[in-house]
Amino acid sequence: MRRLVSRRWFVGRGVVAAVLGRLAAVVGAEARAAKPPANPFAYDITKFRTIDPKWLHYQQVAQFKVPRSEARRVAIGPDQNLYVSAGNYVCVLNTAGQRLNEFALPSPVRCVAVAGDGLVYVSLRDHLEVLDSKGQRRASWESPNKKTWFTGLAVGDNDLFAADSGNRVVLRYDRSGKLLKRIGEKNPDRNIPGFVLPSPFLDVELHPDGLLRVNNPGRHQVLAFTVEGDMELAWGKPTMAIEGFCGCCNPIALAILPGGRIVTCEKGLPRVKVYSVRGELESVVAGPATFADNAKACDPTDCTTGGLDAVADRAGRIYVLDPVANDLRVFARRDGPTASSQAS
Amino acid sequence: MTPASPPNPPVSRRAFLRDGVRLGAMTGLGALLGLASTRSKAKPGYVWQIDPNKCVRCGNCATACVLKPSAVKCVQAYPICGYCELCTGYFVPEPNALTTAAENQVCPTAAIRRRFIEEPYYEYSIDEELCIGCGRCVEGCTRFGNGSFYLQIRHDRCLNCNECSIARVCAGDAIHRVPASQPYFIKTTAHE
Repeated sequence: MRRLVSRRWFVGRGVVAAVLGRLAAVVGAEARAAKPPANPFAYDITKFRTIDPKWLHYQQVAQFKVPRSEARRVAIGPDQNLYVSAGNYVCVLNTAGQRLNEFALPSPVRCVAVAGDGLVYVSLRDHLEVLDSKGQRRASWESPNKKTWFTGLAVGDNDLFAADSGNRVVLRYDRSGKLLKRIGEKNPDRNIPGFVLPSPFLDVELHPDGLLRVNNPGRHQVLAFTVEGDMELAWGKPTMAIEGFCGCCNPIALAILPGGRIVTCEKGLPRVKVYSVRGELESVVAGPATFADNAKACDPTDCTTGGLDAVADRAGRIYVLDPVANDLRVFARRDGPTASSQAS
Repeated sequence: MTPASPPNPPVSRRAFLRDGVRLGAMTGLGALLGLASTRSKAKPGYVWQIDPNKCVRCGNCATACVLKPSAVKCVQAYPICGYCELCTGYFVPEPNALTTAAENQVCPTAAIRRRFIEEPYYEYSIDEELCIGCGRCVEGCTRFGNGSFYLQIRHDRCLNCNECSIARVCAGDAIHRVPASQPYFIKTTAHE
């Protein structure tokens, strides 16, 4: 009787089937690895990541690393050098990113401001220290309150303004360290709403018009105060759209351009934008695509380690500090003279 | 000639029964001890838990757990929470209004309770019976806020499988065994 299946035929087909099966398994595994299943519960903010090109009036002209880790804030001095607080240091850089000097402090430096006479004011979370231009300590001011957490400084000819996130207030000192005024505390009689700070990101800037500009992130606004503490102006609205401030609490930092326009920094959707004095959006400096890693969660033990900070020089260039990447990016207007000169 | 005494039975009936009862008692005691020792070995020294610093909110916790709904739940670290009026863990990215209407909520099962405290602060708490562990609120809170919402495996529900089915597919490799004496990650803050 003729056998239906020979041994040779059976073994040969079996080997072929095993090889094909193995190939299919490998291809399937690679396909699964290459494309993980989409998250059906995704928190979708994709459409807000891209910026309409009509708003992008700035271009990046330089980028350099901060020489010390844990960069937090940046300030600019009258000599147009950059003062970056990073870890326990204040690093002095020129506008090309070269380190000129650095001052060591006993604990992490939260923020820094440089006066016209070259004195450097440094905050160490709960108190302020005054350094000369060589980094020698001139004075150490007492902590105003046990809950003090300084997150912003601005200095004028006669006054120093310190934003205290822990007590939700801006403190006005004279240059010798005498406390003169408490600004921005909730006071319905004076129509002051008070600062709402879900996380410690209170900033203060001294505007050329003589008023202070202070962010109020929990209310998604920028406020203008006189140095006597009267509130003059408030603008800003909550929205993920480019015109307003995104998330629960933005903007987190401010800077002032020559002429008085205001630079705002946001976290979550990391964006740097320029507004007119009255709060109309004028342009976007950079958006989430530029700060790809910056949208990471902040460290829950210290929420001041994320976000962005910015300063502007006399030429209108904007220096943006990215604490996550620990670098500084320099932006200049596309249509301005500084763009071509810096890029070259 | 004295008559031969009858041979002693090797085991008397009484002795047989007594020894049988003793043997049975010893066997039962041994079985009890063995069972007890087996039970004590079965008690887990380690349990599965999510490291919130590694969690990438991929959504697998909601779909991969052998339990339906998942043993993974969102928890709230109140000391970290900003009590925001516009909570990005509660509201969708562009809410129509800051109200509790379903279309404004980011949670697919409305498992987050929003309670007014004082202007402009609101308290947010999790209804664990409704939470499915999808992590959508965690993404919103972590991305924009302080990260007070985070996912944890609740051990009053978890079966402590020998091989956690979520850990096998976890995109952030965030699920590990931790000592049963410290079964949860407690987020703290340096704000106070």
